[in-house]
Amino acid sequence: MKQVEKTLPRFGRFFVALFLFMACLLTMQVGAEPSRLQQVVPGRQLVFPHDLGAHQDFRIEWWYITGWLETGDSKPLGFQVTFFRYATDQHRENPSRFAAKYLIIAHLALSDPATGKLRHMEKSAREGFDLAYAREGDTDVRLDDWSLVRETDGRYQVDMQTNDFGLRLSLTPTQSVMLQDQDGFSRKGPEPGQASYYYSEPHLSVSGTVFRNAKPVDVRGRAWLDHEWSTTYLAPEADGWDWVGANLDDGSALMSFQIRRKGGGKVWAYAATRDRSGKMTFFDTDQVEFIPLRTWKSPQTRAEYPVAMQIRTGEIKWELTPLMDDQELDARQSTSAIYWEGAVTLKRNGEPAGKGYLELTGYADPLAL
Amino acid sequence: MTSTILSRWLLWSEWRAHWMQVIVALIAIATGVAMAYSIHLINSAAFNEFSAASKSLSGQSDLQVRGRSAFFDESLYPKLARHAGVAVANPVLELDVAVPGKRQNRNDHKLKIIGIDTFRAMQIAPDLLGMPAEGKNMDRFAEDALFLSPAAMEWLQVEQDDSLQLHVGLETVTLRVAGGVVRARAGQRIGVMDIGALQWRMQQLGVLSRIELKLKEGINHAAFKADLSRELGEAYVVVESSDQEQRVANMSRAYRINLNMLALVALFTGVFLVFSTQALSVIRRRQHFALLRALGWTRRQLLRQMIWEGAAFGMVGSLLGLVLGYAIAALAIQFLGGDLGTNFFPGIKPSIHFDEVSALLFFVIGLFVTVLGSIVPALEAARTKPAQALRSGSEVMALVKLSKPWFALVCLLAALLLTQLPPLFELPIGGYLAIVLLLVGGIALMPYCVGWLFNTLMMRCQRYSTPAIFTLVLARLANAPNQAAIALGGILASFSLMVAMAIMVSSFRISIDDWLVRVLPADLYVRTIASGDHGGFPPGAQQDIAGLPGFDRVDFFRSQTLTLDQRRPDIMLFARPIDPVDARNTLPMTDAWIAAELWPQQAMPIWVSEAMVDLYGYHVGDTVELPVGAASGQFFVAGVWRDYGRQFGAVQMRLSDYQELTGDLSVNTIAIGLQANTTVDTAIERLRQLAFGSRLEISRSGDMRALSLEIFDRSFAVTYLLEIVAVFIGLLGVAASFSAQTLARVREFGMLRHIGVLRRQILWLLAAEGGMLTAVGILLGFVLGWSISLILVFIVNPQSFHWTMPLHVPWIWLLLIAIVLLISASITAVWAGQRAVSGHVIRAVREDW
Amino acid sequence: MLELCNVSKSYREGRKVLDRLTYTLEAGEYIAIMGESGVGKSTLLNLIAGLDTPDSGEIRINGVGVSALDDDAATLLRRKQLGFIFQAFHILPHLTLFQNIALPLLLNDQKLDQVEPMLSAVGLENRGHHFPHQLSGGELQRVAIARALVHRPKLILADEPTGNLDPDTAREILQLMRAEIKANGAAAILVTHSHVAAATADRILDLKRDGLHPVAPGNAA
Repeated sequence: MKQVEKTLPRFGRFFVALFLFMACLLTMQVGAEPSRLQQVVPGRQLVFPHDLGAHQDFRIEWWYITGWLETGDSKPLGFQVTFFRYATDQHRENPSRFAAKYLIIAHLALSDPATGKLRHMEKSAREGFDLAYAREGDTDVRLDDWSLVRETDGRYQVDMQTNDFGLRLSLTPTQSVMLQDQDGFSRKGPEPGQASYYYSEPHLSVSGTVFRNAKPVDVRGRAWLDHEWSTTYLAPEADGWDWVGANLDDGSALMSFQIRRKGGGKVWAYAATRDRSGKMTFFDTDQVEFIPLRTWKSPQTRAEYPVAMQIRTGEIKWELTPLMDDQELDARQSTSAIYWEGAVTLKRNGEPAGKGYLELTGYADPLAL
Repeated sequence: MTSTILSRWLLWSEWRAHWMQVIVALIAIATGVAMAYSIHLINSAAFNEFSAASKSLSGQSDLQVRGRSAFFDESLYPKLARHAGVAVANPVLELDVAVPGKRQNRNDHKLKIIGIDTFRAMQIAPDLLGMPAEGKNMDRFAEDALFLSPAAMEWLQVEQDDSLQLHVGLETVTLRVAGGVVRARAGQRIGVMDIGALQWRMQQLGVLSRIELKLKEGINHAAFKADLSRELGEAYVVVESSDQEQRVANMSRAYRINLNMLALVALFTGVFLVFSTQALSVIRRRQHFALLRALGWTRRQLLRQMIWEGAAFGMVGSLLGLVLGYAIAALAIQFLGGDLGTNFFPGIKPSIHFDEVSALLFFVIGLFVTVLGSIVPALEAARTKPAQALRSGSEVMALVKLSKPWFALVCLLAALLLTQLPPLFELPIGGYLAIVLLLVGGIALMPYCVGWLFNTLMMRCQRYSTPAIFTLVLARLANAPNQAAIALGGILASFSLMVAMAIMVSSFRISIDDWLVRVLPADLYVRTIASGDHGGFPPGAQQDIAGLPGFDRVDFFRSQTLTLDQRRPDIMLFARPIDPVDARNTLPMTDAWIAAELWPQQAMPIWVSEAMVDLYGYHVGDTVELPVGAASGQFFVAGVWRDYGRQFGAVQMRLSDYQELTGDLSVNTIAIGLQANTTVDTAIERLRQLAFGSRLEISRSGDMRALSLEIFDRSFAVTYLLEIVAVFIGLLGVAASFSAQTLARVREFGMLRHIGVLRRQILWLLAAEGGMLTAVGILLGFVLGWSISLILVFIVNPQSFHWTMPLHVPWIWLLLIAIVLLISASITAVWAGQRAVSGHVIRAVREDW
Repeated sequence: MLELCNVSKSYREGRKVLDRLTYTLEAGEYIAIMGESGVGKSTLLNLIAGLDTPDSGEIRINGVGVSALDDDAATLLRRKQLGFIFQAFHILPHLTLFQNIALPLLLNDQKLDQVEPMLSAVGLENRGHHFPHQLSGGELQRVAIARALVHRPKLILADEPTGNLDPDTAREILQLMRAEIKANGAAAILVTHSHVAAATADRILDLKRDGLHPVAPGNAA
């Protein structure tokens, strides 16, 4: 027992680091060898469907789907599905089929207010043997029996099962792709390299089946997809970030994030809305503000999250209320970090406006465990 | 209540009066228990550590899939990973990689490197994960990072961030020590690498050693295993972790059991000593007991008293033995290692664990055998009629029942029958039982033999006038053979076992020596520092070596391991040129072989070691299937050869057949015979000058022979030690029984002194008695030991190690031991007798008690 | 043949047992020594046998000073000149009667032809092959007598020879002993408590602190 306690936090630490590395906005450690990975540069035209697929020349890439579902008896559920691809920048000459050139990591989370708990599961594997891959050309990611595939008609098929929960969803786009920031070149900090290529697909219409305790339930709902890839990410002074993506009831969409500075303040912030007609409105660092309204302290990790948040984008005030407080992903026991990723409802200037997902990272100090 | 007090008084007074004998008996029991217990402790510590270490390598998998030979194609991995019912498939490549500079120790110069996929292994064998430096987490996937267990770091004398050179085939690979494998077991020498990096750097692309499976919840393991085995076919074995344990257990089972048997022999000898101490004490106290009986002690009380005495001996002795055994085990593990220097369990560092159950078990064994040794004398004491026993001189009648030969003869007959038994559970149970019965029978027959021999001798002597002392000696030995025989029980037991072991070991050693000459005919043997199962010499290198000048004959060998039975250790397959006309020119054949002209046409011949016959039932003339090459091929068993090197089985085939079947043209070993004008040194120099010369492992056959014999001697060192202990206990027995007897005979000596027998004549008498008895004991012990050696050589060895050998008796050595024993027994007898003649002459004749 | 001159002996604890004892025993003389327990009767026999040395004084057997002899010489003297009869018989259990009686002859390198006649003399003819445990107490003492006399010693020392025997057997043994000793012409000292036993001797002496005092035959009864 003693040994387990001693070593598990180490695994945790490793994956916290790895996770932050990829999903969150951490600076890259560039190895002694010159990297062959490409940098994100402005002015590149995203080409679809090619850019829906993987970009192997970049360090890190993810497909991130969040959404609200409703069961037949109108009970709400939140879900989060993520696939990461990570380039190790190693084994370039290695002919082995096991050569760990790319790692694939996936997260699945289900927020169920009926239980008040977040169920989640992580998997990781190296790319190879067709067991795990992120294909180029179109969205096609697989990790063992978990998969996210975009069909030629644009529909995404997600299939992720675990021993006691899972989902099998079909996501149909209802709107065009939403290129973030400068035509998909999304800045994450003051330095030129601190950026990613980033597009979203809001208002995906969802139908399918959710499994809870291995029992299937038919669901429908709305989802949001982010696809982002980069090599160098963020300023070293970054502490974590807050992100929200919301499908609004009037058919418009909101995406906003701020990157917090260690010791307070922000490194960078951004927001964009797109109305039903496709008109984009952008807000820069100065115009975006995240104001915590209420915090929730995780009984497990002692981390304190601003689960209710007010976001100001220019003149608009958005008020975010969580579907439930405990939407923390505490994955130290297996493969991942601790963060909060939860379904929220939004009010615009006090009026109910829609549903979305809020992500809060960097609030738990893993080293303090 | 009062009877308890009486018991205690009697016991205490007896022990106080004869403390010497008590101490000797206690030492005997304690030594016996200590030997048995320490061997058990050492064996179980080593074995548990060994199997824990092998288990830690396979983690918590439900099933393992292996190939028939050491490696198989990695294409099985995705199939299994996708297999319905499989939750996790963990691919593993395990290589024993030679470490430059560690070559001097032939059995122990390789580092086990395990290639894993961190993400998969994490779910099955988390203990194997390397611990990278802070902030260097990606080292777990790095192409040059090697993680080492603490023992491996110590052995290699490297630390984190050092670089380490390894030899792979004919090349050198440099790796970076990226961190530790902190959860490796103490003493476990392993390295861990990324599997893709290991395949690439160690030139093992495309192969795996095993795939560990974790099944989904609710899957029936047995059914899944059966289905999977069927699905994968002959080329693979599906193993449960319990099979794996059995496999590990099988590797050392014969060794452990044989050592345990030897330890029990020490205990057994101790029992004889208890028996003789108790028996003599009964004789000495016949009149005491008779008096007590006359005073109203019941037979049962008397019996209880005797058994209680034995139990007290047993308890104290066993307790002492446990303490002593624990200490011996701790010291032995510390200084000799868990395999007592035999290298049976390499690369582990076991520690002794006290567990109550086994301690209790050995305590009970010690107690039980001691009580057992007390029962016969106790029964005799209880059975004696008090009136008869009260009369002086009636001691002669004591133990008269023991000299009935029928019991001994039944034992010997049963022993003879038991030798005919086949092995049980693959162990020579029948043989061991026969040895025990031979010993018991032999010892039981001893009084009869002694009586008969000395009676005959006395008859002869009566015709001539013989000196008084000699008459006294002969008369005593002829007419009181029981007491004489009791004194010799221990020495007989230990000497016969010593003879048996000596004959067995010498037969074995001579056979091995001969065998080594046969199997190492060339002058030089050249190997690559091979990693894994791939031959180290590609054809180009083979030609380079064959093309060097000065070589008369160059033979290429290809060897690899094969798994024929998942529960057994792997067998060795050798592919080499074999004399097509007569395999006896190449191999150390037994008499079982078939001449080439009688082989069936088209058949590929193989020659199997004796172990293959016993373990797998491969008989000469059979056609068998072996997983050589892509598909399992049919082979014809053309002969059986002796193999003292691999008790788990080995098969030889022609290199040309092997290459035809597998397409594998590489070889592991090159045997070189030199031309008359080329010296070994010149040849070595030429080999070293090749491009890959520095990475060759070159051995002279003489060195290899010497090394093999050294290993052999080392592995028998423990045996010698146990023998000496057994003889020591036996001598203690002689001392104990002689001192007991001389004390009992103090009146006799007093009278003799009165009527004019010189003091030194009494000592002569004792020496002669001791010497003659020991001589008979040695004679009988030799006969008995020779019989036991026959069992060891022709039953125990073939049944447990699966090899046969001719018998060689080390006459000179045995003679030497016999003389030493004879002298020490006589000295012991005289020493024990000193007390009896040291001046109590006057009192002696007045003493009636 | 036996001369005691001023023989004194004390035990380690200082108790004086014999004080300047002087006595001369003639060849063929058969005497009985009586006395209270602890007066030194057995000590006297041990001194005569050379098994113990006197503090002062001299013991001579046939003119040879016993006390001056070392252990081996004393043993050889005993072997040739003395015969012993013990209260507890002390017949070796694993030797036959014949062998037991033959012991002194063997020790003296003499022929064994006297053994059978000796056996007959003590009334055990044809029982030479028997073992001691087959015999009664009286018979064992007969064997002891035969053993004491078989090598024709000059002096027999008998310490309570009938102490372990019943009165009838005792009487029988005493008579046999006297007859055989006389027949062999040996001198004998019989140490006993029993007046009956003492009465078989030629003379009876009472051992007291101040010496040996003749006892009138009438007092013996």
